[in-house]
Parts: sequence; C-alpha cells; structure tokens
Amino acid sequence: MEATSPYHMRPPIMSVKVEDSMDIMIVRDTARRAASLLGFAPAHRAQLASAAATLAELVLKTGEAHTIHLNGIIDGMATGLQISSETPWLAGVSANNVLVALRSKLGDLVDEIMLHGSEPPTIIMVMWLGENNSRPASADRD
Amino acid sequence: MALEVLLVEDSKTQAAQIKETLESVGLRVRVAYDGPDGIREAIENPPALVVLDVKLPSMDGFQVCRRLKRNPATQDIPVIMLTEKAGPQATMSGLRAGADDYIPKDIFASEHLIGTLQELGILE
Repeated sequence: MEATSPYHMRPPIMSVKVEDSMDIMIVRDTARRAASLLGFAPAHRAQLASAAATLAELVLKTGEAHTIHLNGIIDGMATGLQISSETPWLAGVSANNVLVALRSKLGDLVDEIMLHGSEPPTIIMVMWLGENNSRPASADRD
Repeated sequence: MALEVLLVEDSKTQAAQIKETLESVGLRVRVAYDGPDGIREAIENPPALVVLDVKLPSMDGFQVCRRLKRNPATQDIPVIMLTEKAGPQATMSGLRAGADDYIPKDIFASEHLIGTLQELGILE
C-alpha cells in the first residue's frame, strides 16, 4: 500500500510494516532517520519519533498488520515530514472522535493531525520544517 | 584533550554501557549517580555535555534538566536525555525542560546518541 497525502510528496519515502512490538522501535528509528534527512533538529526529531511510535502502538493494538509511511512533503516553499497510516480498523468510528483523541494524545508533538480520504481514511500527522526546528546548515550529519 | 561528558545515571550497569559508548568515540566520562550530585558536578566543573537519565532517586531527570537550564553557570551546556520513558508526554516533558534531544533507551540508542553528539559539535 502506498502513502497518500494532501501535499506533494518528496523523498525520503520510507515504510514500515507493523506486526509486533519490535516494529514500534523500528518505526521510531525510521522516523528519526527520515527527519534527519530532511534537516530537522534533534529535539524535533525526538518529537516526530515519539509521534510515529505512538501511531505504531495504536496500529499494533488493532491486532492486524498495517503499514506506517514516513515521507517528505512540500507545500509551496514549505518542507515537512508526514507520518501516515491507512485505518480500515476505524470503520464505523466517528472521525471527529478519532481526531479529538489523537490531538489530545499527540497534538503537542506535531503541527497537523488529520484524516485524509475515505474507504479507508488515512491518519496523517505533519511537522513542518521552519527556522526554529531545523539544524544549522553546518551540522549536516547523523 | 578529549571533551568531558557528565553522565547522570543511577543504574551502574547502564552507566557502564553508556560510558563505554561515549569513550569509544574518544570522550572522557564522569558519572554522577543521582540528580543532586549531577547538578553539583555540572556547576563545580562544567562538562561539554550532560547525558541524563529520567528515572533517578530523589530528583528526576526533568527537574535536573530544568535546574541546569535555569542556572547561568550551566544553562549553555547541551543536555541529552537518554531514557526508558519513551511516550509522547515524557518526550514533551523532557524537551520543555530544555533538553536538546530525548532518546529512548532501545537498540538504536547508541547510534542516535553519537549522531546527536556530531550535530551538537561535541564530536567532529
């Protein structure tokens, strides 16, 4: 299953299938790597990693394997990281209730949380890269 | 001369493992086994970096980080929290306390720690 987005997608494009608890750690690590490739500063990498791991925990609780996608996005001049997962397991649940619950748990970690599309909807979390959360240009490592 | 890191970690086993990681990249490591000792060490002999556990006896890592970031003598020292508490609330508590990075203790921890040390300019 490929990632979808309301934004234009750009590399990095990474996916992790979440099947057991070890995969939560892999999702967290992958999010840090993707954020690093886009130039996020360490503290914001930590936020994105935590948001991705929390989504992976949620996915794991469904009892079925689902994929979490991590990809760069562009909106005009802005670049960001999107964390997303399709949610067939949310069928029949109020989208509004889902968003309220997610924003309550993860709203401090990312800039945007939304449900995109339908049948099934995709949970999307986004953090945009700005002056306050990017690393200095000289620190091009990790 | 190698830069010095102050490691604040109450578990002797974990302190030894983290110390080994830091020494493997050429850093010198001092260990404090609780928060008040860590703060005193940081003030008396400021290190290049503090690596801080969250679960500590008598004063948790969030409090230690806030104290270090409030004190003019230590506020510019980078702090990396290295912890078993990996949830979203703990992550935000660490970052709001002033930590420069918040790294869960998992199998990737050493790699991420070294990556952040490079970005902070602690390692070349």
